[in-house]
Amino acid sequence: MNKVSLELKQGIKAHFINTDLYKTDLSCIIITTPLKRDTVTKNALIPFLLRRGTKKLPNLSEINKKMEDMYGASFNCGIDKMGDNVVLKFYIESINNDYALNNEDVLKMNLESLLDIVFDPVQNGNLLNEEFLSLEKENLKKVINRKIDDKDSYALEACISKMYGEEKFGLYKFGYIEDVDSITIEEISDYYNWLIQNSKIDIFISGNLKEDEVKELLNNNPNIKKLRPRTENYILNNEFTESKQIVENVTEISEKMDVTQGKLVMGLDIVSDMENLQVTSLVYNAILGDGANSMMFQNVREKAGLAYSARSTFVKQKLNIFIRCGIQIENYEKAVKIIKEQLENIKKGNFTEEDIQNSKTYLISSLKSVEEEQDTEIIYYIGQEISKMNMTIDEYIEKIEKVTKEQIVELANSVHLNTIYFLRS
Amino acid sequence: MQIIENDKIKEKLYIEKLSNGLTIMVLPKKTRKKYIVWSANFGSIDNKFYAPGEKILTVVPDGIAHYLEHKLFEQENGKNSLDVLCSLGVDANAYTTNDHTAYLYECTENFDEALEEFMNYVQNPYFTDENVEKERGIIEQEIMMYDDYPDWALYMNAMKSMYKDNEINIDVAGTKETIAKINKEKLYKIYNSFYTPENMLMVLSGDFVPEEIIEKLKTMITMKSNSDETKRVYNKEQEEIVQKYVEKEMNISIPTVLIAYKDNDLTSDKIKKDIAIDILGTIIFGKSSKLFEKLYEEGKIFSEPSVNYEFSKTFAHILIQLQTNYVEEVLEETKKYLDNLKRNGILEEDFERAKRRVYGDLVKDYNDVADIATGFVNDYFKGINSFDYFEEFNIINKEYVEKVLKELFVESKKVISVVKPIEK
Repeated sequence: MNKVSLELKQGIKAHFINTDLYKTDLSCIIITTPLKRDTVTKNALIPFLLRRGTKKLPNLSEINKKMEDMYGASFNCGIDKMGDNVVLKFYIESINNDYALNNEDVLKMNLESLLDIVFDPVQNGNLLNEEFLSLEKENLKKVINRKIDDKDSYALEACISKMYGEEKFGLYKFGYIEDVDSITIEEISDYYNWLIQNSKIDIFISGNLKEDEVKELLNNNPNIKKLRPRTENYILNNEFTESKQIVENVTEISEKMDVTQGKLVMGLDIVSDMENLQVTSLVYNAILGDGANSMMFQNVREKAGLAYSARSTFVKQKLNIFIRCGIQIENYEKAVKIIKEQLENIKKGNFTEEDIQNSKTYLISSLKSVEEEQDTEIIYYIGQEISKMNMTIDEYIEKIEKVTKEQIVELANSVHLNTIYFLRS
Repeated sequence: MQIIENDKIKEKLYIEKLSNGLTIMVLPKKTRKKYIVWSANFGSIDNKFYAPGEKILTVVPDGIAHYLEHKLFEQENGKNSLDVLCSLGVDANAYTTNDHTAYLYECTENFDEALEEFMNYVQNPYFTDENVEKERGIIEQEIMMYDDYPDWALYMNAMKSMYKDNEINIDVAGTKETIAKINKEKLYKIYNSFYTPENMLMVLSGDFVPEEIIEKLKTMITMKSNSDETKRVYNKEQEEIVQKYVEKEMNISIPTVLIAYKDNDLTSDKIKKDIAIDILGTIIFGKSSKLFEKLYEEGKIFSEPSVNYEFSKTFAHILIQLQTNYVEEVLEETKKYLDNLKRNGILEEDFERAKRRVYGDLVKDYNDVADIATGFVNDYFKGINSFDYFEEFNIINKEYVEKVLKELFVESKKVISVVKPIEK
């Protein structure tokens, strides 16, 4: 492993990933905070305000000229649900100093700019800049409304929100239209100040680094200096917040929209406390619907020819599996029947050692490529951080290898269909 | 073997042309990942040709290149090579574009085991009535999936409005009606006509010793060249566009706009033009530009428009895509801005800054083995070696960029395609 972590202050960590695999350096600040109905929209609004300017570069044009000067560094923000937390991600990717044409220290500019954007926005006393607020509220609304533009992810979100309601994991990460208008500058400023002083903060720097220099740069940075130590305020991903219950009656819903292809999502609960639950679930999911050898791909697509895309995804923090496929609307019954047969087949142990081996090989090879993708590696480590796990990729692989057929069958018998959602015309 | 060294990005490219006519390129990198792509210069635009030795023109149904891509994985032993490769833990895939079809895999382990299967399936098609029939439903669903993508409708509408006869206005996957006409005889015919060594390129990137892997590949290549050449026939395209404006309503939240400029000059230096258009993209629509700032402050756009020069040997055009609730105003403002820029010229500092950004983007293209290999494939079938971008970058100047602005961004060659929300 090539990662070194360092606690800058209580609740604030720096992680250095030293690698010469890339032509770029990637710095990333991640703020983790619990998902709540009353803050979810505010969380989503914050990146919109922060990207507008820093004290040193007080407007869009200045900030972006700076990025262009850094050989087209790209600044991006993202927001993701991770279990019952939301993570706000701020990235700058820039070319490594080795490729700069005039020996500039691009990494230093990268990191300082990112710290300024997140922790030193244009402010008026304790308040964020009010001029930006109304426009950015409108921009946030556009992003919230865009939910319907991608039918596939819309269907998944709709199924999740049916299963969880408008609480925690059921919340939409970009928030809700009806919340936006009433947010005042005082409210959002207070919330921002609270967020940066009370949340878990992780700073990742990946690239061809001189660790000591980067460490010193962080320690001397005025933005870091003004952050206080904090008791991290987030929900540990290993502690499941609701005890899962077996649902007696499967919820079956369909929603009408002007679509050519129907989108089917089936949400499953895993209700079990068996040992190695997450890893066994991962292998189970691979047999069911991850990859070309999976039952979904082989039966729904290859044998029945019902779908082009047929797969399942495992959400480890919530112990859910979501089966997803795009089908012709009149094939709904047929597809549901075939998928239910696959679930029964795994329960009965109707799969071979070869199926298990294929799934393990598939999972292990994707894990091995984690260290070869700069952003994927950071996401892997933040997942570990939030679970307070410190499993290396090799240890993870070892656990996968040990999963047995008996364990998979045991797990299969604790998988319960919760909701069938169908988007159709 | 030819070796080209690029000292800007500190990489070396090894090129070997085999005696049967196949070109192999290797760009070694010290990664754990290995990537191989084998590509045929045959895509959705290649729908008319004289097969080797034939005097009668063959016309194939739209979507056949893509159909072949799906079916090449079938093996005589009843197995599907995609499943076999997947069970070796390699990430295998294939894709079809307008001018080529590519088969590939990426892995951290089992490269050699997978290579056997890979070389075998690409070189040995096995089509039966049953296996061809079986795929029809799957591809129909793929087509329907695209039908729900607003960006795809936006793009195809722009192509149809820009080109009357050029084959770029054919949907890569075809339609339900055209793929109904595809059978095993037609698939064999296109395979035998186009999947020949001189018409293909193989690119590898990752942890390879170039000499060793090339020697190994030589022993595995059984493909022979045709005694006669396959002659492609393309329609002649008019200089004018078909229509200025096209729109479609879909169930989306905000209108998406594609501004396209048809470029009829297919002969002049493509790389130079491509770089110039990238620079112009930043100067005109980049987040630091006056136009972006104005439209953003007025709440008319909220993300940076994308600007691309898309070209092959038979077509070329600029594509600018953005989202806005104020379609007319944004188009009007953009036109005014362009007119001004044409009249007053580009500021030196804006040019230099945009150039730095373009340079950074060129460097970033060499981060990932997959991007590197597919980048070389893309460029090769356009008659370009990707490394040449760095050479052209060194000599590009403001005057040339201004010339491209004046010659290409012209009203008479402009098409607007809009996909907007359904009016309630």
